[in-house]
Amino acid sequence: MEYSAESAMPFGPVHPSLKEPEYFKLILEGEKIVQVMPRIGYVHRGIERAAQDRTWVKNVYLVERICGICSFSHSLGYTQGVENLTQFEIPKRARYLRTVVHELERIHSHLLWLGLIGHWAGFDTLFMWIWKDREHSLDLLEAITGNRVNKSYSTIGGVRKDLPDGMAEKLKTEAGFIEKRLNYYDGLMKSEETFAIRTKGMGRINQEVTRRLSTVGPLLRCTGIPRDIRVEDPYAAYDEVVPEVMTSNDGDIASLVSIRLNEARDSCRMIKEAVDKMPSGDFKVNIPRAIPAGESMFHVEAPRGELFYYVKSAGGSTPERVKIRTSTMANILTGVEMLKGHTLADVPVVLTGMDPCFGCMDRIAVLDVSKGKEWSIGGEALRRYGIDYYSKRGGNK
Amino acid sequence: MASFKSGLTAWARKRSIWVFHVNAASCNGCDIEILAALTPKYDAERLGVELVPSPRHADVLLVTGTMNPLMKDRLKTVYDQMPEPRLVVAIGACALGGGVMRDCYNAGHGIDTVIPVDLYIPGCPPNPEGIIYGILKLVTGIPDKPEEARQVVS
Amino acid sequence: MQAIAAETGGTVTTSKKAVFLNVSREKVPEACAKVAAMPGYYHLSTITALDLGDQIAVLYHFWKGKTFAVVKTLVPKTDARIPSITPAVPAAVFYEAEVKDLMGIFFDGNPYMKGRFVLPDEYPTDAPAPLRREADPAKIRKMLKLE
Repeated sequence: MEYSAESAMPFGPVHPSLKEPEYFKLILEGEKIVQVMPRIGYVHRGIERAAQDRTWVKNVYLVERICGICSFSHSLGYTQGVENLTQFEIPKRARYLRTVVHELERIHSHLLWLGLIGHWAGFDTLFMWIWKDREHSLDLLEAITGNRVNKSYSTIGGVRKDLPDGMAEKLKTEAGFIEKRLNYYDGLMKSEETFAIRTKGMGRINQEVTRRLSTVGPLLRCTGIPRDIRVEDPYAAYDEVVPEVMTSNDGDIASLVSIRLNEARDSCRMIKEAVDKMPSGDFKVNIPRAIPAGESMFHVEAPRGELFYYVKSAGGSTPERVKIRTSTMANILTGVEMLKGHTLADVPVVLTGMDPCFGCMDRIAVLDVSKGKEWSIGGEALRRYGIDYYSKRGGNK
Repeated sequence: MASFKSGLTAWARKRSIWVFHVNAASCNGCDIEILAALTPKYDAERLGVELVPSPRHADVLLVTGTMNPLMKDRLKTVYDQMPEPRLVVAIGACALGGGVMRDCYNAGHGIDTVIPVDLYIPGCPPNPEGIIYGILKLVTGIPDKPEEARQVVS
Repeated sequence: MQAIAAETGGTVTTSKKAVFLNVSREKVPEACAKVAAMPGYYHLSTITALDLGDQIAVLYHFWKGKTFAVVKTLVPKTDARIPSITPAVPAAVFYEAEVKDLMGIFFDGNPYMKGRFVLPDEYPTDAPAPLRREADPAKIRKMLKLE
């Protein structure tokens, strides 16, 4: 890397909205970004090492707090990875219940992202309205699992509790409501010109990039490659409630918006189908505390992409090794590719487009190579800069 | 030192709390609940709470997450940039005392090892209603000397 | 897989849903390039390192659409170096950097080998890597002054 350590600038950790801290060094020439160098590790807490000290069940609580947005995917990957080491068969009802909660989480995560992309593109009304509708999915999650975030619903052997009475009907009506609202937002986002200017053609990637960098999730599907772990390697009840794989060929942020919206709509459809097809029976099977020795690999399709778990047991009551590869780790380099060639004003939207689940925009440090100047700019200030930049060009009004 | 309790300024400050949020190695759970507290269903904005882009404009600092060595200096810098009078709210079990990450090798024991905290909101993550209740407690009970006001809200 | 094993001098073992190819560490880039070039879409899921006492096992997990194809190698702890696979498989850059930080294995040819990747910069270079058996979380906390 020819740029020395002194020219690295933190894309600081403090952000007015959510998002975790991360460092991105942006190197500009004139207005265009030519190189981005990420520095991660701001949220590194040492979970893989801590997992070796705790019992199998306690690790469920540890692992789901790796990320609050896709926490059920983490616990699902871990518990299914551990169950693969045993000889037990998970009851069908438990698998259906896991599917329902997994899809509810996908809806909540995609709605969160859609709201945020609206916020970064200057479309705050969309942000507020979508987050209001997102509360419906969170209410459902709370009624089923007991908490809105960090649900601890999946356990080794099944799920922790059964659906309360009357929940099945409520799931169907709420899923229908969310679907109607998503249809409305679909029309809204397509017809809103200013939003289209900020997202169409931005952050363009193609199949060559995604193949080279092993991208996962919607970022992979927006280049036209129809890969979805739920279809390729069905887990939970996905062999019977089959998702539809959404792809697009444009490879830009607008296509990511439409893919995530369509996935959320499809999740509503799957929830209704899963509730209809749900078998009766046990929701849990009791698995003894000591898990037999062996190693197992398991991956799930979290809202952001493939989440990979590798679990190794030495036959005791604590794991020997738990290796977790989150989907954003696989996508950072793709996000870097998306940023190249864009101007500073596009950075918030493009970076949110890759849906980082850790670290992101804060204080961006910028190095302008041609002018030899360095300055830093805050996340919210960057957002306003982007809005002003586009409104001068007839964009946001 | 200017206090919150002197006449017109105090009256104005209590009804318009400007917050700045810092994520110090958090899992994002508390952060999305803070954002949910500002959106229409729970709507903290009707109480005058507004999220600002810079610590120099803020009255209250909201911190989530355990303390990570990389974030320690950043948090201290942000705290130093805030003008007096300033208050700090620690949100979530991780910010209180490490939470579930307590023994991890790269996670600290909460943020009060680095900066003084005025209000603790426990939960993993706390409900948006809990966060608003905490902020209300802060507003109605802001004393003359913030360092003496260590409250625990649940 | 058997063909690749024959070419690289490795052995093949299978288990539920995964095919393991055990090779020596010099042959790792060649084996990974061949696995990646196998027909069907190649996708590198991640790179895992396991501390086995005197040796460290490094596993390269490739997902081939129906099963995992895992290239496995053993590295002695006292001489923890492996040639990097990034020229053939660019997706491996970050995974190798993470293994270098957390297990202390040096990947020759990876551009991210200088400085820290996920660990804080204050982490001393002579301290054992955190995921190794000799590393004690309590000692690491004292080193990083996290009490």
